[in-house]
Amino acid sequence: MVPGVTAALKRHETLLAEIERVSSTGGFCWHAATGKMTCTDEVYRIFELDATKPVTLQLMGTRIHPEDLPLLDDMVERASAHASGFEYQLRLRTETVKYLLLNARRSEATDDQALYIGAIQDVTRRRLSEDALGTLRCELARLARVSSLGTLAASIAHEVNQPLTGITINASTCLEMLGSDPPDLDGARETARRTIRDSERACEVIARLRALFGKRGGKTESVDLNGAAREVIALSLSDLHRRRVTLRTEFAEDLPLVTGDRVQLQQVILNLLLNAAEAMSAVEDRPRQLLIRTEFDAANQARLTVQDTGVGFGPEEAPRLFEAFYTTKSGGMGIGLSVSRSIIESHSGHLWAELNAGAGATFAFSVPARESDCGAHDRSVVGAPVDTVRLMRRA
Amino acid sequence: MADAMLVTIVDDDESMRQSLPDLVSKFGFRVRTFTSAEEFLASDCVARTNCLILDVAMPGMSGPDLQRELSRLGQTIPIVFITGQRDQDLRRQLLAEGAVTCLFKPFSAAALREALNIALGVS
Repeated sequence: MVPGVTAALKRHETLLAEIERVSSTGGFCWHAATGKMTCTDEVYRIFELDATKPVTLQLMGTRIHPEDLPLLDDMVERASAHASGFEYQLRLRTETVKYLLLNARRSEATDDQALYIGAIQDVTRRRLSEDALGTLRCELARLARVSSLGTLAASIAHEVNQPLTGITINASTCLEMLGSDPPDLDGARETARRTIRDSERACEVIARLRALFGKRGGKTESVDLNGAAREVIALSLSDLHRRRVTLRTEFAEDLPLVTGDRVQLQQVILNLLLNAAEAMSAVEDRPRQLLIRTEFDAANQARLTVQDTGVGFGPEEAPRLFEAFYTTKSGGMGIGLSVSRSIIESHSGHLWAELNAGAGATFAFSVPARESDCGAHDRSVVGAPVDTVRLMRRA
Repeated sequence: MADAMLVTIVDDDESMRQSLPDLVSKFGFRVRTFTSAEEFLASDCVARTNCLILDVAMPGMSGPDLQRELSRLGQTIPIVFITGQRDQDLRRQLLAEGAVTCLFKPFSAAALREALNIALGVS
């Protein structure tokens, strides 16, 4: 071979090896019929195999997590049926657990139907940071819930004390009426009826609370945004009254259901509501008006909009609104909006803010309607033809 | 009881407006109810009211707002505040501005009777 070409090839080879290492991706070539396998250096490194020995599927199997071994059998089976390609998530039981993504296609360069070319990527770091992010998101959501709970506690107390007072007063009046001479039986019956009604009202408050703060985590269910928003509004109403906010709602009747975690979505609605009320707390020269609207938008998404007449935000604040711990409020923890956005994004949706033409700002989010495929909590593998994706992962 | 004293209740909560009047009339007073401070101010009751049972938190004009407005108008109606918020700071502030008392919901019929008696100078 010409020396110049050899040198160029050598440089090329070094570069490829470097790329493999940087991307933690190794290549392999596998002849399914004979079991013959050729691998690049990175595959040896990922599987922690002796580089001097040839790699076989059996040898790889000794490193693969026992629970994922059936995937290897599955791969052999699919290859013998001449599948056009396949994709697997595998775990290795090496020194530490490694997460791999294996992707292969039947070679089109030859007529040999048993020849597969593929890549194995070590996705451990990505996987671990995804897990850590998930944990962090749950933590932040809980933290945000606790901090809004503080704000809500007062409003809940108000909400419960109202019917309790009714019960006490009605029962006392009832006794007075029975004790008078002659007893006022009709009046007593009426006050007893009111006592029952007020206790039912107290029960409703408790039921709403249970629905909102009940112990459920990361659930995926069909959610009616109108109903979810109504519950949040019912609980925040006395708080809004105290802040002298007038609330108007425009709920779309044809709003489709969305898929997701009802409590998390309510957390977002609550955050947007409290933010809006907060933004209007210093407003004295115009009505403090809050508009909550739901609609079914052109992109097949259910949208919820919260519009206020508050102080809005400056152009320099706009990019920072959704940053964690960024706040313009003295009392707030500043995690509401960033957590809200991450919750909405985990529902495959969007959360955004814009200034109104008049005073105040509008915050809105949209999430896909249930009919469309919404993989909110599914870390599924994409990019391969559907029939070749075989996904096996531990819950 | 043509000359019975008039107790006026201002509360946005319906169950309060339904339950309180019967009890207050059992105490021997005449009663009027209003759903908001604005409605009360616009009525012919302001000058005739002997005692005001006033909710603290209401949409629009709040109880304390009404207290200030009445004082600005030179009206010295004794006020019994009622509130669902157990806020001692607010209570102190309301008393400092001349309120007879501030009852935290849920309060008893006896507590209300006592407050009204003090407000109206009845023993």
